[in-house]
Order: sequence, then structure tokens, then C-alpha cells
Amino acid sequence: MSDPVVSVEGLSIDYVIGAGRFRAVSGVTLSVERGHVVGVVGETGCGKSTLAQAIPRLLPEPPATIGEGRILFQGQDLVQVPLWKMPRIRGTGINMIFQEPLNSLNPAFRIYDQLAEAIYIRRVREKSGAVTDPRAAQAYDYSRSQDPTASEALLRPVVPAGAAARVTRRAVERHGDLKPEVLEYLRLVRINDPETILDLYPHELSGGMRQRVMIAMALSEKPTLLIADEPTSALDVTIQAQVLTLMKELIEEVNTSILFISHDLGVIAETADELGVMYAGKLVEFGPVGELFEHPRHPYTKALLRAAPTRYKSQGPLSSIPGSVPNLSHPPSGCRFHPRCPLMKPNCRIAPGPGLETVRGGAANHTSACFYADAVEALP
Amino acid sequence: MGRSPTDLAIFVGKRLLQLVPVLIGITILTFVFTHLSTINPCAQWYPHADPTTRANCEHLFSQPLSTQYWQYLTNLVHGNWGASVEQVAVYPQIAEGLPATLELVLAALFLMIVIGIPLGVIAAQSSGRWPDHLVRIFYLSGWATPTYLGAVIAAIFVAPYFGLPSHGEYSSLVPPFHQYTHMSVVDALIAGNLPWTLDAIEHLILPAATLAFINMGIATRMTRSSMLEVLPLDYVKSARMKGLSEGWVLYKHALRNSLITTTTVLGVTAGGLLAGTVVVEEVFGWPGIGAYAYTAIGGGGAAPNFDGAIAVVAVFAVGVVVANLIADILYGLLDPRVDWR
Ligand SMILES: Nc1ncnc2c1ncn2[C@@H]1O[C@H](COP(=O)(O)OP(=O)(O)OP(=O)(O)O)[C@@H](O)[C@H]1O
Ligand code: SF4
Ligand SMILES: [Mg+2]
Repeated sequence: MSDPVVSVEGLSIDYVIGAGRFRAVSGVTLSVERGHVVGVVGETGCGKSTLAQAIPRLLPEPPATIGEGRILFQGQDLVQVPLWKMPRIRGTGINMIFQEPLNSLNPAFRIYDQLAEAIYIRRVREKSGAVTDPRAAQAYDYSRSQDPTASEALLRPVVPAGAAARVTRRAVERHGDLKPEVLEYLRLVRINDPETILDLYPHELSGGMRQRVMIAMALSEKPTLLIADEPTSALDVTIQAQVLTLMKELIEEVNTSILFISHDLGVIAETADELGVMYAGKLVEFGPVGELFEHPRHPYTKALLRAAPTRYKSQGPLSSIPGSVPNLSHPPSGCRFHPRCPLMKPNCRIAPGPGLETVRGGAANHTSACFYADAVEALP
Repeated sequence: MGRSPTDLAIFVGKRLLQLVPVLIGITILTFVFTHLSTINPCAQWYPHADPTTRANCEHLFSQPLSTQYWQYLTNLVHGNWGASVEQVAVYPQIAEGLPATLELVLAALFLMIVIGIPLGVIAAQSSGRWPDHLVRIFYLSGWATPTYLGAVIAAIFVAPYFGLPSHGEYSSLVPPFHQYTHMSVVDALIAGNLPWTLDAIEHLILPAATLAFINMGIATRMTRSSMLEVLPLDYVKSARMKGLSEGWVLYKHALRNSLITTTTVLGVTAGGLLAGTVVVEEVFGWPGIGAYAYTAIGGGGAAPNFDGAIAVVAVFAVGVVVANLIADILYGLLDPRVDWR
């Protein structure tokens, strides 16, 4: 039964730099079912972060522009939503853990204030009826939600500096004591004595701690969709493992739908239900994780799996595949993978190249963009 | 070094100690320049005085500059700031004028902050589009306006247009009353008289606005450029991701960090603001040390008043140093990563 939380349909995103323009994401179609974890893998620069940030409309526009496509989230097309209305969808609707978590906390505010702010936003929305139960299947009318910040934002120019933190704290506390919940979420991410870090500033915490706080902050808004953009890549290996274990536990405890971006196949194998493989801005294969790992139907996926040290084992990022990553401003014609593809035939070079199609003899949602998908299994 | 109050006290103490050499240098410079500007002021000072006074004066000025400076310094250490030719002592003039000047400068600073900084935010937010250009034109025209011209235009054209007073601290309707602080608005408040207070504020608006308009550019520009630096940073993105409205993201999360750079620059504008008071106070009849400096250097045909000029310059120097010290303290308070050095 298909019940997608978000479905991206034919999404294309261009970066315009000076006179140049290139397509970082081309016609990606992908959806995340309720309660599922969907992984997205691909080499560096293939457009994973661009895709991730396009969904909550966080890309800086310019240089980014959404060329075409739709992002359906709870009955509305986010591409059509005016930017000034997006704040109501972000936070409780869609939340994100960034690729660079170490700089994602504001250096000027204490940990307590930053977490309390997130919980405050959620409470205000819960009160105004914008969010009832984030996991309930109904579509909420976010456009009608009471924006908690409108009146208080007016005050902001007048109280710009340190006072702002205090004003906010007071505003926040009108909505009940937030401290128990702040502590609760810090404990949820396994910070043992959360009281001790409440009054610290981000630079006083280690990288792993900051990352946990970021995760706590994202979870504390109980988002319907959580996007995790390589949530562990900025951490060293031991902390990575801890955070990953933690995320897996949380996925079960909190039960949100997750779009999990990584270039670590081991991580994906352990956490995701479905997996999308991106190459040079395009989605080249999509399907249930197990089936994709056992029976990849795209030569690129096959190459990725071969390059990964041990299947189903987290052993760091992908090792190299022969050939080089294509230049997105002059992508190869036809199938973008053809310069590196062992199965390449002359027709692969002809535009428009292969589109995503359901593979024969696989799961209903297993698709691959290769003319010779059936021959992939035979590859070494 | 850390961020404890003791560290802060040591930091402030060190910076205040630096004032001593600054003051010695400043007084030497102004002493030399005032005394070189008029080789023999006695003829100008005492055209009709009796021969003994004149002779005493000439004897004093015939001594080497170093002796004269030493004499000045000795007097200063004994609390004697000197006097004008008319034997009006310098110290009381400064003591009464300084608060008035301070009030004017603080009012100008206030306007620079509440208008200049939001303008910078608006410019950064719309960078490259028309609001940005409008803001730039606004602050560049302030920057390009000579203080004197700006003050005169404000007094002659702007004042009648808005029906604002353009001379003095109070209108003639306010009877003389005891000035505790010599700050017009504060004293009216102390007197507990609302109409007087409003009257004082009305009188403050134009000179403060003129000073602010001319010095605002730097605050706006700094805010704009530091906002442009901060806006693409990850924590601004994560503030947006929380679901905060754009106003909250800009004015709380981004501005809070860009203010760190802006405050240091505001400290630097203290020099410009103080220098501006010389002309602005003279034009608006504001009884501060700026107007006093103007007459001390012979403005309006007055006899040059060396002691007065040196004193004002020294007070301005202290003002600039203290303003920068305050800016540095604010910088440390705003940025939790800073250690007091
Ligand atoms: N703000 C930007 N302006 C211009 N080009 C950009 C911008 N952000 C990303 N790009 C380009 O878009 C392409 C896709 O970048 P993206 O960050 O989405 O890749 P990624 O798959 O997340 O890579 P990584 O695994 O290294 O994080 C890259 O070629 C990158 O250089
Ligand atoms: S379409 Fe052709 S070039 Fe592309 S992956 Fe398939 S076989 Fe290789
Ligand atoms: Mg990325």
C-alpha cells in the first residue's frame, strides 16, 4: 500500500553561476513511504545534498533554481509554495541533520536556548492545531497554521543583541517549562548528564556532542520527514559508529520517515528499507535495499557494490571506480555512465538515454535506468 | 586568560593604563601646534592692556616650548586646567559641556543603531536588488555630506519643514532650572516635568539626526557585509530548518553574530561623532564641548584659547579610547568564544 510522506517527481535543479549554468539534479523521481528509511548513495558531487536541501527549499536561490518537477508533501507541491510560507512546513513537517553538523549550531547561543527554541516552535504549533500527531496520516493545512514568530519577529530590530536571547527565552517560557523536555531529548541522544551542558556554548562541546545535540534538536520537533545528509561524515570513526547505532535506535523509538543520504553503503545496508543510487545528478536505480544489494540492475550500482570493501559491513566510504566523475556542465550524452560502463553499446551514447523503468523479475518498486539492465547480473 | 570577571577587570585595567601615554602624546601634539599656530598671541590678547600684563605675557611666550609645556603639565597635575584670556577657567566649562556633548553623541549613536543596523540587514537581505541600492545611496549621501553643510541644511531647511527647533537645548518656554547632570533630557526627567522633557527631546532630534546621518554609513555598511558573510553559514540554514520565520532567522540568529563585527566598527565611529560635534554644536547652539572647542580655536572671531583647545582635544582622545574599550568589551560579551586578552 503506497502512502508516501514525500514524493519528488521529475525534479531538476540548476546552479547558475555568472553566465554558466549546470544541472546538479536532473529529473529525479523518488518517494519516501511512511515509516520507511530511504537511503540515497552516490559519489561525491553527484547532487545528493542539493536534492536533500531542495526538499525543504533550503537551497540558496540564487545560485540554485528549481528547473522543473514537483515535491509533493502532505498534499501540496513545495515547489509552488512561496518561500515566505516555507517556515511553517520546516521544523515540524520536514527537518534535517546537515552534512556539516559541527557548524550547524549557532555559536552565540547556549545549548539550552537552541534546543528550547525548537521545542517551543513545536509546542506553539501543537497548540494552534497545526500539528496534532506528527505521525497521523492526515494532511495538515500548514498554510493556516499560526506562525509563532510573526509578532515576536517585529520586536527583533529593536532588541538586536544579547537582549534578544533573553526576550526569546521569556517568550518561550510563556509556553510552559521547556527544561524537562530539553533534558529528555538530550538523554534520548544518550547524553548522560544533560544538566551540565545546558549553559555551555557550542564551541565548548566536542564534535560528537554537538552532533548529538543537532540530532536531538531535529528529533525534538517530531518531524514527519527527517532528512539526514551524511550525518556522520564529519565525525571520526569511533564516534560515527556510536552516532549510527544511536540513529538506528531512534528511528525505531521516534518512528519518523527518513531520507538518509550517505556515500557509505555499509551504513545504508544497516538502516535503509529502500535505496536510491545517484549518478551525475540522475537517479539511476531505486529499489528495496536487500534486492538492490543482491541483484543490482544498473552497472553503476554493481560497480559501487564491488568497490565497497565488504558487503553489509561499514568500512568507510566508497573506494574508486575506474574512470572519472563527469563534469556536470558538460555531461556525457545519452546515458551519463557510458564512458565508464563495461556494458556500453553505441546506442547508449544517443540522447536522451535510458529512463527509469521497472526491472523484470524484481520487486514492483525496483527501477533501473539502463538499456541493458538484464545483463547486469552477468557482470563479474 | 578566560572569561571570568577578574579577567575582564584585568583587561579593562590594562587598556586604561594605555591611556596615560596616549594623553601625554596628545597634549604634547596639541600644545605644540596651538603654540606654533600663533607665534606671539600677546598682541592679539592684550591690545590695550597695561604694559606689565603685556610684558608678563611676552616673557611667558619667549621661554622654550618645553618649559612652557612643563609648566602646563604641572598646573594640570595640580588640578588647574588653565583659563582663557578673559580668565574664564577651562575646567568648569568642560565639566558642564561634556555631559551635553555626551548626550548628543549618545543620541546620534542610538539613531545609528536603530536605523543604520536594520538598513544594513535589509541591504544584505536584498543584496544586488533595488532596496540594497537605495540603502547604499542613502548612506553614501550621508558619508559625502560635509558636516558643516549637513548641519546648516538641517537647521535652515529641515527644521522649519518638520517644525523642529534648531537652536539650544530648551525653548524659551522652559524656565531655567537646576541642571544636575547637564544633560538636557535627563535633567528635565529629574525635574519630573514631562513637557520640559518633550521639549528637550525635540531640541535634541535635529543635531543628533545630523550627526547620525553623516556617520551612519559605516554602521550600515558593516552590518551589510557581515550579514552577507553570516547568511550562507550552516547555523543560519539550521535556524531556517527549525521552522523559524525569516525575520527571526535574520534578526536573532544572523544579526546576533554579525553584530560582533559591527560593534567594533561602531567604536571606531566615536572619533567621527566627536569631531562632528564641533560644527554641529556650533550650528545648533548646543552648549557642549564641541561648541566650546570651536570658540577656543578662534572660531567666530574669538581670541584663541590655548588651554581650552588642549583640554577639549585631550577629552576627545579619552572619549575615543573609552569608546573603543567599550566596543571591545561588547565584542567579548557578544562572542562567547572570545577570551579577555
Ligand atoms: N551553492 C552552490 N553553488 C554552485 N554549485 C554548487 C553549490 N552547491 C553545490 N554545488 C555543485 O553542485 C554539485 C552537486 O553538489 P552536492 O553538494 O549536491 O553534491 P553531494 O552529492 O552532496 O556531494 P558530497 O558527497 O561531496 O556531499 C557539485 O558539482 C557542486 O560543486
Ligand atoms: S545504458 Fe548503456 S551505458 Fe548506460 S549503464 Fe546501461 S549499458 Fe551502461
Ligand atoms: Mg553532500
